[in-house]
Amino acid sequence: MARFAVRRLLGMAAVLFAVSVLVFVIFNVVPNADPARQLAGRSANPQLVASITDEWGFDEPLPRQYLTMMGNIFSGKVVSYETRENVDERIVEGIPETFSLCIGAAVIWLFFGILFGYLSAVRAGGWLDRALTVVAVTGISIPVFWLAAILLNYLTYKLELLPSGGYVPLSENPLEWARHLILPWVTLAVVYVGFYSRVLRSSMLDAMDEDYVRTARAKGLSERRVMTRHVLRNSLVPIVTLFGLDFGALLGGVIVVEGIFNINGIGQYAYESLLNLDLPPIMAITLFGAFFIVLFNSLVDIAYAYLDPRVRLGESAS
Amino acid sequence: MGEALLSVRDLCVSFLTEDGPVQAVDGVSFGLAPGEVLAIVGESGSGKSVTAQTIVSLTRSPNARISGSVRLGEAELLGAAEDELRRVRGERIAMVFQDPMTSFNPVYRIGAQIVEAIQAHRPEVEKRAAREQTIELLGAVGLPQPQRQVDRYPHELSGGMRQRAMIAMALALEPQVLIADEPTTALDVTIQAQILALLRRLNRERGLATIMITHDFGVVAELADRVLVMHEGKIVERGDIDQVFYAPTDPYTRKLLGAVVRLDQAPPLRPPAAAAPLLEVTDLVKHFPVKRGLLIDREVDRVRAVDGVSFSVAPGETLGLVGESGSGKSTLSRAMLGLLQPSSGSVRFEGREITGLSRRRMQPLRAQMQLIFQDPYASLNPRKRIGQIVAEPLRIQGRASGAGLRSQVGELLERVGLSPAHYNRYPHEFSGGQRQRIGIARALALRPKLVVADEPVSALDVSIRAQILDLLAELQEELGLTYIFIAHDIGVVRHVSDRIAVMHDGKLVEQGPADQVCERPSDPYTQALLAAVPIPDPRECRARHDT
Repeated sequence: MARFAVRRLLGMAAVLFAVSVLVFVIFNVVPNADPARQLAGRSANPQLVASITDEWGFDEPLPRQYLTMMGNIFSGKVVSYETRENVDERIVEGIPETFSLCIGAAVIWLFFGILFGYLSAVRAGGWLDRALTVVAVTGISIPVFWLAAILLNYLTYKLELLPSGGYVPLSENPLEWARHLILPWVTLAVVYVGFYSRVLRSSMLDAMDEDYVRTARAKGLSERRVMTRHVLRNSLVPIVTLFGLDFGALLGGVIVVEGIFNINGIGQYAYESLLNLDLPPIMAITLFGAFFIVLFNSLVDIAYAYLDPRVRLGESAS
Repeated sequence: MGEALLSVRDLCVSFLTEDGPVQAVDGVSFGLAPGEVLAIVGESGSGKSVTAQTIVSLTRSPNARISGSVRLGEAELLGAAEDELRRVRGERIAMVFQDPMTSFNPVYRIGAQIVEAIQAHRPEVEKRAAREQTIELLGAVGLPQPQRQVDRYPHELSGGMRQRAMIAMALALEPQVLIADEPTTALDVTIQAQILALLRRLNRERGLATIMITHDFGVVAELADRVLVMHEGKIVERGDIDQVFYAPTDPYTRKLLGAVVRLDQAPPLRPPAAAAPLLEVTDLVKHFPVKRGLLIDREVDRVRAVDGVSFSVAPGETLGLVGESGSGKSTLSRAMLGLLQPSSGSVRFEGREITGLSRRRMQPLRAQMQLIFQDPYASLNPRKRIGQIVAEPLRIQGRASGAGLRSQVGELLERVGLSPAHYNRYPHEFSGGQRQRIGIARALALRPKLVVADEPVSALDVSIRAQILDLLAELQEELGLTYIFIAHDIGVVRHVSDRIAVMHDGKLVEQGPADQVCERPSDPYTQALLAAVPIPDPRECRARHDT
């Protein structure tokens, strides 16, 4: 098991290296123009371009350029030439807001996704299943911006229950932190609740036909225990896969929801940088996002080995 | 028969389907006395498994309509409350299923699953005590080192060990009735013999009343006191074991018994073929590396799937290749057909070396050697019409096209006992036996010289099995085919083979004329294999067990 985890984490390092090379190539090698000119953005002038060329080593061979770029990003030396802000500092500032949003939403969508999926599967074909199917499909179909507008209209402007947006740090006031985040959490979670409940439902319905479920009943287990210990437990693998991909991708920035609720996280920063064609932050955020996607994919693999002991056995096969 | 422990009266189970109701079980009545072994025999679709599952209300399809009565002692089980049934399942009536791999939950340790069964009925038993009891049970069913096995996952045990563990789980609460649904069908014959011996011992020592569901008359003869024969949901024959075997009254039972291929009744041997060998395999080796390592995989071991095998087959002859699962017979068949590059050794077809031939040079030779597969469901593409399936080899080899192709396919279908009118149907419209005929037609399309049949009848019911074996024999006669007949069932192999080669752990441990190998085996493994085959003859079984 430990060896399996080590192998996966080493594999992750290799993938991250590949991603960083790709980012380097996309931003600095492929463009049909002076990369220093591109980095400078709209405020470009000959002196700035010259100093960028020097700073990033654009007159040196490509492998050196790559190392310089990674060195700049990882040592926190990247500065936006547009806003004169230090990019890494700005990303670090955004982390608590984006993470608060994502983690809270993930808790909600996992809880309700699994609950609805479980109930649908156990009551398959019944009215509860049908009702939950409608809920799930509605959740998947609603556009995020529309849902946000409706929630804001009723809960904030009409009933004045919740703030319209903004962020209060958890350390400052936990209650206000949660009050400010409830609407963004719900808005972000609704789509995933729909998807996850449908996936879990079908995965559980497949598992119910398995021989070991019949064995579990034949040995006299209660129906609830059959469903939780034998059906649900064995059906979680696709949920783990989805969660790893979705959650990893969101940590790199949640553009729409952050924008609507005025949360100054990484997604918001990415959006602003894109509007200004401000390349240094875009590069750094791309790498930052890729890191979480790769990290969570590796964690998913390790979680598989925990969920299914046969994966551990297969570690050396092939 | 004494006071019935379990009595089933007028049991009917029907399933609503799109094509109307299907009567799976139709007015079945029987009783089970304490300490008795009752066998329910039938082919697939006869309703025997549905009957068994309905006894403890495990037939859960919402489309099932169930009527009749199932009484355990004084209690009626049909329509009983779920809570009451839960107390009966496992505690008073325990079940053992066919495939011990899929019947255990793969994500929990064996011990945990048995402990779960104990605690479901005896919540007062502490985990530690339940675990001790589990270890004891695993020992009682013959698992070596039960203290270690208890913490293993199902996939870490062999098939036989898993089935022992499954039986241990069934025994955990000392039930009065054991229902065993094809408990040995998924196992090798030597393992089957061990499991049957275990069931016999449990029945004798614990007086455990057993309902044995099976399709195999050999298994019935080994174990049963009384027999029910089911056909299309009805019981067509019932009686004690000698009566059913030696004086069956029902024509279906007689047909079924007549179709059983018996190891001890050999067909007449054909004169040995003297011509130059069609296929000659010399010192064939196929190893698969086992790799392991933290960063870079190094080869740490190798699986010797085929380990120095030599044999030859003469034109027109049938060579039977017998071996249990994992013996390497399938790898051997793929290596000798050039579908797998051997590690070393030579394969000569009509005197020509075929190992190492390029794909292009192999192509015309492939037409000479064809394969018939085991699973008639998985080996036919479900999205293609059977005409297309049979025509495909002709098309690939460029032998025919257009109307000529169609008429050739029609002839082939006729030859294997199907109608040319079936051309446009899909595989799912055919029964297992008919599908195997389609597979045979496909194999014969190119008029091959050599046909390798890999377990061609193992997935089929006994009565169908006999028809397919007859068809293969007819075709050999007509077309002068040479067969390599691969199977785990030495009874079937003897029935069709001129010579038999026995494979064990990648090596041929014995080969020779069929009657010599079966009657005067020289190798200890062959002897063990032959001794393990259940004989569908109760008197002989008793004689064998008494000695």
